[in-house]
Amino acid sequence: MDKKPFTSGPGENAMTITRVADRQWHALDDDLVAGCGYAEHRPDGRLFVGIDAWHDAAFDRLAEAMLAELPAPLYTVVDEADVELTAAWRRAGFTVRRRECEYAVPTDPRVTGLDGVQPPAGVTIVPAGQVDETLLRAVDRAIRDEVEAAVGWWQSMPAEVIPRPAGDTVVDPSKYAVAAAPDRYLGLVRVVRVIRPRVGLVAVRAGEQRRGIARALLAHALGTLHRSGYDAAWTEVQESNRAASALFEGIGARPVGGNLELVR
Amino acid sequence: MTRQKNVIEVEGRVVECLRSAMFTVELENGHQVLAHISGKMRKHFIKIYLEDRVLVELPPYDLTRGRIVFRYRN
Repeated sequence: MDKKPFTSGPGENAMTITRVADRQWHALDDDLVAGCGYAEHRPDGRLFVGIDAWHDAAFDRLAEAMLAELPAPLYTVVDEADVELTAAWRRAGFTVRRRECEYAVPTDPRVTGLDGVQPPAGVTIVPAGQVDETLLRAVDRAIRDEVEAAVGWWQSMPAEVIPRPAGDTVVDPSKYAVAAAPDRYLGLVRVVRVIRPRVGLVAVRAGEQRRGIARALLAHALGTLHRSGYDAAWTEVQESNRAASALFEGIGARPVGGNLELVR
Repeated sequence: MTRQKNVIEVEGRVVECLRSAMFTVELENGHQVLAHISGKMRKHFIKIYLEDRVLVELPPYDLTRGRIVFRYRN
């Protein structure tokens, strides 16, 4: 156990920072745990840190200790409404790297305007649970390669937080519906229902975009949710991804918040 | 995983979503605390809404504040 004493200032009690595990730290103030810091790798390989502290001094001491011992770059996520936490990370030298907008997405076809939306000729929608896993993995891999080659967003997609086997990007095939041509899949949508449904991913092969496939996938996914009794879903969109923002705002999605990804 | 010492864990229900990513949580004993969401929940995009049942950590020296560390499924 690695202990590093810090004194917060004249007349204040000494605060001890203890590395209690490989990626976990505690701030002890008069033998009370005043804060906890941790670091975790995301599936994309980036190292994310977090600190839960009961007061600023504990946060700052934890950040100091962690930053001294962890390799750069380090990332963290904050709710953009949480100005105190954002300020604390800024004090530690973090800056805003990007912003994700969170949307509440209506599911009622009369609200979304997706009632009657069909895929283009020659394309069918295969519902979740009936998807061919081999073709699904193939289209997922192809889309990821296309995105990386074009704009390079994929490595920082907010949805990629669930641990998965190395090289496998489809954690649960049963969550996907796809747009299918006779010989291959052209696009996919992933919806997870844990308490509230979340649209985790909508994507279409580069050569098949601007044909209405994404709208058809959303029409299917949201319509299915509506018939199951859900009146809204939620999703996050990277602020710079104008096409995705336009797609969701075009069906009545409402911004309800945002997350800031910070880096140092 | 190492558990935090000196922390009181209490179940509660979210009764108000405030600005600045804060929540008013009513504990089982009827007491209300001002709580924020833990870093791990934030990192994993776990959202908190009105009426959610949650587990809250309270610091022993200030029982008016809390940290939401878990959201129950129902």
